[in-house]
Amino acid sequence: MSKITIPFGPQHIALKEPENFMLVLEGEQITSAGVNLGYNHRGMEKAAEGRTYIQNLYLIERVCGICSHSHTTTYITNVEELAKCETPKRALAIRTLFAELERVHSHLLWVGVAGYEMGFETLFMYTWRDREQVLDCLELLSGNRVHYSINTLGGVRRDVSAEQKAEVLKRIDYLIERTNYYIKLATEEPTVAARTSRVGMLPPEVAIERNAVGPTARASGIARDVRKDDPYLIYNELDFKVITHNTNDVYGRLVVRALELVESYKMIKQILNNLPEGPIAVKMNMRIAPGECVNHYEAPRGEDIHYLKSNGTDKPERLKVRAPTLANLQSVAYMLEGGWLADVPLVIAAIDPCMSCTDRAVVWDPKKGKKQSYGWEELRKMSIEQYRRRGVDFTRL
Amino acid sequence: MSELQIEEKMKAALEAKFQAANAIVQRKNRVWAEIEPSKLPEAMAWLKAEGYGHLATVTGFDEGENLGAYYHVTDTHVLVTLKAKTPRANPVLPSVLKTFPGGLSYELELQDMLGIKVEGLPPGQRRYPLDEDFPTDQYPLRKDWKTEEYLAKNPLFKPEAK
Repeated sequence: MSKITIPFGPQHIALKEPENFMLVLEGEQITSAGVNLGYNHRGMEKAAEGRTYIQNLYLIERVCGICSHSHTTTYITNVEELAKCETPKRALAIRTLFAELERVHSHLLWVGVAGYEMGFETLFMYTWRDREQVLDCLELLSGNRVHYSINTLGGVRRDVSAEQKAEVLKRIDYLIERTNYYIKLATEEPTVAARTSRVGMLPPEVAIERNAVGPTARASGIARDVRKDDPYLIYNELDFKVITHNTNDVYGRLVVRALELVESYKMIKQILNNLPEGPIAVKMNMRIAPGECVNHYEAPRGEDIHYLKSNGTDKPERLKVRAPTLANLQSVAYMLEGGWLADVPLVIAAIDPCMSCTDRAVVWDPKKGKKQSYGWEELRKMSIEQYRRRGVDFTRL
Repeated sequence: MSELQIEEKMKAALEAKFQAANAIVQRKNRVWAEIEPSKLPEAMAWLKAEGYGHLATVTGFDEGENLGAYYHVTDTHVLVTLKAKTPRANPVLPSVLKTFPGGLSYELELQDMLGIKVEGLPPGQRRYPLDEDFPTDQYPLRKDWKTEEYLAKNPLFKPEAK
């Protein structure tokens, strides 16, 4: 059979963000795959050189819409290391709390996307509904759902009150119950196993060779987790397990993420119940003496690494950011090869490539030239109203 | 200094085997060293054989007279950073893809963003990360490249009329 090369992306309905895969097909089977990137390059590293350390915090938060806390925490760990800043223990604990809440929200999002890609849309609806619980926790603690802006130079911007703690713990208990159901689903539901087993295989030696990170590597049996290997924040004081699975396929990646959720809930409870007393931030000198350092961080998708060089001014000399998806995309090419065309969206989704999401709607009326933004309550009210006009009543929900 | 044993041993080995200059143990789990670009592939192969099998990333830099790159290699615990400098007039670094095939996008980035020629890359590579219609003789991460000048020269980037 003759070979056909088809471009998959950069704009394709199965992809949530621009990237290109050149797939060489023999019939329905993929014989080789190449990855092309760079459609979303925003010049952030150059932009960071022209901004002050505190301005960069808000720039770096926007590297990713989901790992926003991961990137700022890695960046700020670097800044504080260079400035020799003694960050208060309570601030470190709150950062860890946000890191784990972020992991929960990211993993629940992924379980939904994976469900959607495998044709199990009920799972998508369920997990995204439950994900609202953790987003509500984040909003309660920080005021924001996605870009929490909790980090600041020398600490965090908001404290956690006793009422907030009780509310978060309540929601976590609900999520634990739901997650147990998802774990049961992932491990016992035959359709899930049938759709994901032996799809997108990544043997451990290839995962190591291609520098795979995070759940992608852990599903190939590699116990690689920055939280355990090179502990940062307060991870060395927390009790948690590194979850690995040895099936090397999409099924393994599903199981790893589902079980990691349980570990995150455990950590959230530990942090909230043992929050150290003391201040949440200290003053820091905005001019940082020349120096350089490098720090990594276990983001929901894997190792995130930043290099920072200071030059004595209030702006960095050089900032390098490497997000986990860039490390994992080299493995995707391997996973696709030898597989089937119909598996492509599922395999790509299985490394959890990063995408942004937003919440509030802004409506602009060009005739009146007026802008109005709607919050969650108003949007909810409007949608209930709309359905009621059509004869469906959702008010009881 | 028993707790920094692994780090000190790594520093000593890099100095002895690859004549590394300015090698330091910055803190627990962080080792830095500067080596000649010609010794880079050999040093990377040795690191991998020692168990440092994860190339976390490659950071390109512009120090004025010299361009170069930091290679951050780790065994997941200790992060070893090798620095390789190359003159600005003729910036060339050898590829480390033989040892770390996963580092392709990092090396392409050195070429695109800093104009460091990486020798030994497989042929037929598309550029990364810059757009295909971005000029090939301009390197945005060099210190003398100014965003404002680039925008001013290009009529396409006129600020949008409000």
